[in-house]
Amino acid sequence: MRFRSLAAFPLLYAVIFLAITWSLQGGEMLAPFTFWQRILVRVLAAAGCFAAVSCFERGDHLRNAWLWLGAGTIVILIRDLLRLFPGFAPQGGDPQAQIVVTALGILSNLALLGGIWMLARSWKMAAITLPGGRSGFGVVAVATAVIALTVVGPGAYTHLQEIARGDWSALVLVVSAVVDIITLCLITPLLLTAISLRGSLFAWPWGLVTASQLAWLLYDIAASLRPGLLPAGLPLPEVFRGLAENYLFAAGMAQYFVIAQVRRAAGAPVLRPASGEVEA
Amino acid sequence: MAGHQTSFSQQLAARLAPYIGDFNAQMWIKSVARRELGLAPEDLTVKHLTPLIDGLRPFLQTLMGRSTAENLLQQIGREVH
Repeated sequence: MRFRSLAAFPLLYAVIFLAITWSLQGGEMLAPFTFWQRILVRVLAAAGCFAAVSCFERGDHLRNAWLWLGAGTIVILIRDLLRLFPGFAPQGGDPQAQIVVTALGILSNLALLGGIWMLARSWKMAAITLPGGRSGFGVVAVATAVIALTVVGPGAYTHLQEIARGDWSALVLVVSAVVDIITLCLITPLLLTAISLRGSLFAWPWGLVTASQLAWLLYDIAASLRPGLLPAGLPLPEVFRGLAENYLFAAGMAQYFVIAQVRRAAGAPVLRPASGEVEA
Repeated sequence: MAGHQTSFSQQLAARLAPYIGDFNAQMWIKSVARRELGLAPEDLTVKHLTPLIDGLRPFLQTLMGRSTAENLLQQIGREVH
């Protein structure tokens, strides 16, 4: 029940978000509402990642993976908050502030990629047999790569041309696009690991991380649509960003609850994330 | 006798399935039995428990961390012994 609630939470959040944005009718409150809900989902995602970190010990493979994901989320959260200050705003005129914003964006993308990379290679470290064998993996990998390149490739090419013309502010967009392509390709091992673990407790965190990555794919699709294609006042990319961040939150919490449940079943002390103490 | 041996590997798989899934539990026991012991799963007996648990350790450690995996393996060892 707890895991089902975690899985349902991002969808419920998306429905509430859509209802509120609809009620705002594209008015002046829409932009601040969208901004602050973005901060909220980033905070939730970071909380989920660090809850997951807390249930592992130093040196554990998944602790490092969740640590990278949490660090990447914190860095992008700091960047978003900096945007509140005039110099750091997207149209800000302070070049140094824009360099800081760009650097934070790149750092965040690389940290998130590191975390997803570590999660995605867990199946290899654990020598998990993925369903479908090599051919199944190949088919899903090619399909994901084609989708990723179709969705993100054109934007990446456009931003590369901007850099070629001397507009270095597009660098973060190129890095982001390349990271997106690699991360989307990593959906394959995540998805197949989740399927391989189906019916078990560990299917929950893996399934929810996969859902988060799929939501990022939808975000990229929505963000690449021409503005006229979407109804005015419908921030569709924000809906999918919220889904992605909330699924990351749900995955981190699921990871924490799963480990706590295994520890209880094994008769081991259960870690309490807030204090780091143990309870019998 | 064969029935008892089969039930041992099934018993172990049943204990692992809630954590790693039925598919992985069956595959792992089969894989460790063949690779480490040169045996078919139906030929496993309780005397093979230690090498089986040793073979499962890296898998579980990756998924749940070293100390949790160790506690779980000890618990499973006690239960199927």
